[in-house]
Amino acid sequence: MFDLEGYGHLLLEGGLLTLKVGLFSMVIALSLGLIAALFKLSKIWILGFTAGLYTTVIRGIPELVLILLVYYGGPTLIQDFAAMLGRDIYVDLNPFFAGSMTIGFIYGAFATEVFRGAFMAVSRGQLEAARACGMSPLLSFRRIQMPQMWRFAIPGLGNIWMVLIKATALISVIQLPELMRNADVAARATRKPFSCFFMASLIYLLITILSLVFQQWAEKRANRGVRRE
Amino acid sequence: MGESKKIAVRAENIYKSFGSLEVLKGITLEAKEGDVISLIGSSGSGKSTFLRCINLLEVPTSGEIIVGDEHIRLKKNRKGKLVPADRKQVDLMRTKLAMVFQHFNLWSHMTVLENIIEAPVHVLKKNKQEAKDRGMALLEKVGIADRYHYFPAQLSGGQQQRAAIARALAMDPQVLLFDEPTSALDPELVGEVLKVMKDLVKEGRTMVMATHEMGFAREVSSHVIFLDKGIIEDEGAPSYIFGKPESERCRMFLSNLV
Repeated sequence: MFDLEGYGHLLLEGGLLTLKVGLFSMVIALSLGLIAALFKLSKIWILGFTAGLYTTVIRGIPELVLILLVYYGGPTLIQDFAAMLGRDIYVDLNPFFAGSMTIGFIYGAFATEVFRGAFMAVSRGQLEAARACGMSPLLSFRRIQMPQMWRFAIPGLGNIWMVLIKATALISVIQLPELMRNADVAARATRKPFSCFFMASLIYLLITILSLVFQQWAEKRANRGVRRE
Repeated sequence: MGESKKIAVRAENIYKSFGSLEVLKGITLEAKEGDVISLIGSSGSGKSTFLRCINLLEVPTSGEIIVGDEHIRLKKNRKGKLVPADRKQVDLMRTKLAMVFQHFNLWSHMTVLENIIEAPVHVLKKNKQEAKDRGMALLEKVGIADRYHYFPAQLSGGQQQRAAIARALAMDPQVLLFDEPTSALDPELVGEVLKVMKDLVKEGRTMVMATHEMGFAREVSSHVIFLDKGIIEDEGAPSYIFGKPESERCRMFLSNLV
């Protein structure tokens, strides 16, 4: 029943690519989330507005629509624009970059809110103590606020990672040979859809379970000294 | 006697409002080197707010702060509120005025020793090993050297506050500001913190403290200020304030405590 007729390696390769896309997207999501959270918390009006626009618009559109919009819509938009200027160009997006940038861009909007909440959860007294001994705002941010923020952010970020890794399956629609796409290819070739998709499920599950172990470790580390053991 | 001593810190005619609520209505305090000044008064009288104005954790609505012989420059922003004119000057001034908080505010992600060397190393740019040696000596002094590698949450309130005092001392400040340092402690832990503070008085440290510990204020202060509804209702030597103060309110406040 679970004879994958030699397509097993295809699934493993797909799983590896899924992990790569996931990690790349997560790095983008974390970076964007951190920046946008700081924008939202800043007193500068235009920064807060920009970040607000980003999170509102992105969180309100389905991932699949955005992926298709960027991958198929992006190049045609650029080509049409170039044609208007009398140029004839051909734009082809790399599905890995287009896909993971889009996923990262989307989950960055969710990460923004996680980071914003985490920054606000750091107690005022901790920051006042920093200012009271002459730390500049930047030093206090680097030495006190950032290290303490992670403790509040990690549970929410772990949650985002779980959803994100599963959302990478959507990138299969733009022909990236990640786990979902390869499972589909194998299922058609072998005519054993149950075995192939079941195997893919197990690989997704393996990734998320390992992630949970990592998350527990990271949480414990971030809570060092705060919770009694 | 005393007249030749240098001024350590002076806050002049401090007003502070939060929205329409006027908390401080023109308070002046001058601490010469070696002075121990206690601010007493009921909750909401403005003691803490005034103390926080001295190191500009709250920027006064109007008034002046002088540290040593340096005037802290304030300017009005677009909305007409006072703000520091030179942030660097304020940061430097704060290194000279160390503060001990009611709720300790030790950094929870660092061990006791890391808390103590943090500002000396990163603000004063001291050598890390020297800062550690000095930190251990200070922990010895406040009696918790054996807990140097503990995190704050693993210590009792009294131990945390003593660690916070060591953190303040590590800056070699000209003035120590205490914001109700024993108010958050269980009664049986108050004594150990007061003992450490008494040692500092004996060393001749300049201290300004907001406190509810009347016995302590009476014993160690060189000057006592009674605040009521944002004004200095009465002030003087401890023997005067705790003896026969002119202010009726001050007498009432003290008699209600017994």
